[in-house]
Amino acid sequence: MNCDELRPDYLLYALGTLEEPERGELRAHLDRGCESCTAGLHEARAIAFGMGASVEGPAPPRQLRGRVLAIAGPQQAGLWSGLKPWAVVIALVLVFSVVLIGQAYRFLHEKKALRSEIDRSHTEAAALGEALAVIQAPDTREVTFGQGQPSPPRGRVFFHPTSVLLIASNLPQPPAGKTYEMWLIRGGKPAPAGLFSPNDQGNALHLFHPPSAPVQRDIVAVTVENSAGVEAPTSTPIIVAPF
Amino acid sequence: MAGAAIIQEAIHRPGEFMLPLILAVLAAGDGDLLARLQRRDPQALAELYDRYGGIVFRLILRMVRDSGTAEDLVQETFLRVWNRAGGFDGERGAVGPWLLAVARNRAIDHLRARGGRAENTIELNEIENPALFAAAASDPLHFDLARHVKQALGRLTPQQREAIELAYFEGMSQTEIAERMGQPLGTVKTWMRRALELMREVLPSTLARGGGAVAP
Repeated sequence: MNCDELRPDYLLYALGTLEEPERGELRAHLDRGCESCTAGLHEARAIAFGMGASVEGPAPPRQLRGRVLAIAGPQQAGLWSGLKPWAVVIALVLVFSVVLIGQAYRFLHEKKALRSEIDRSHTEAAALGEALAVIQAPDTREVTFGQGQPSPPRGRVFFHPTSVLLIASNLPQPPAGKTYEMWLIRGGKPAPAGLFSPNDQGNALHLFHPPSAPVQRDIVAVTVENSAGVEAPTSTPIIVAPF
Repeated sequence: MAGAAIIQEAIHRPGEFMLPLILAVLAAGDGDLLARLQRRDPQALAELYDRYGGIVFRLILRMVRDSGTAEDLVQETFLRVWNRAGGFDGERGAVGPWLLAVARNRAIDHLRARGGRAENTIELNEIENPALFAAAASDPLHFDLARHVKQALGRLTPQQREAIELAYFEGMSQTEIAERMGQPLGTVKTWMRRALELMREVLPSTLARGGGAVAP
């Protein structure tokens, strides 16, 4: 068959519906590089496209776009696919801001805890400095307690005209809900002289400023009391140190 | 980039001053779109759907006449194109004709399965080979062509038109068309020959007899 005889078959060939023997004849022309048949087939494919593109009908359902885009993977159909670049930037900035705020909050919390620790250290240092000043003062009188006793505690009381300093060791930890309370007993009448607790090693340092200078026959005593403290001792003293 | 709605507007309102501008805009982006499809850029798939999704859906719906089935086949069509875009020469071809060929084949496959039709002469894998579309004209020219083909179909006799549509929309051979229409095979061949001549007459000069190497 020559090209003119094959010309009516170009469209059917392009559509894949051309039957034998015409299909074999046309394929042979194409295999030989027949320019006429090649151009004719090119034209037929254009017509085929035109037929498909000219079909009228309804628009596709809105959800179909999402189904098709899901082909490219979940990231396309999901979180990032429909986002414009500016939306992605805003989302990233928001996430970054949340992280920064979290970090800043943590730093502030740590700074507050650190400040509290520093303040506590300053207080302890000030107390130690004051205790040292009391111990070194020329008008301080020193009393030892617990020496020769079968059980602790042991230590010293320093009497100064403005302060009474208790330094004790081997103090047992008070029971839960209890603490140590110091008393300054004058004329047989105990007056509260402050609460204190020993450290983990059983040592304690307690400084009290009495309303008036200690005098002869004043006594320092320590009892175990409720953690809130009491106005008068309710238990037997574990420390007794007369001036 | 313009979407399918703009394209359809261009097709259905020929002669308006916007058409050349739209076609020029469309022509600029196709090569880049194909290149990005080949790099499996998800955004390129989105643009491809926005440009052709409506046309593909309407074609498949026309063939299978069921919206749910059409949606499934549209998804299959774009999946096939997404997976085979690497075989397309994006520097020279146009993705539209290829995409519609794939869509038509998916629908014909479905019709065959639904109707229990045996394999006939159609060679689906062969006619949707991307290499066959490497020398196709740019898509804008094809969209302009759709308008001309639509006019040509309107000039065919009812018998000519039915024969052509059975071949295109149902994938029938001339023998099957003759059986369906109850006409001698020679008559059907005459109708289809005349129909093809009429449609060739309406082709824009840029496409008709445009030459260029086309893979067989």
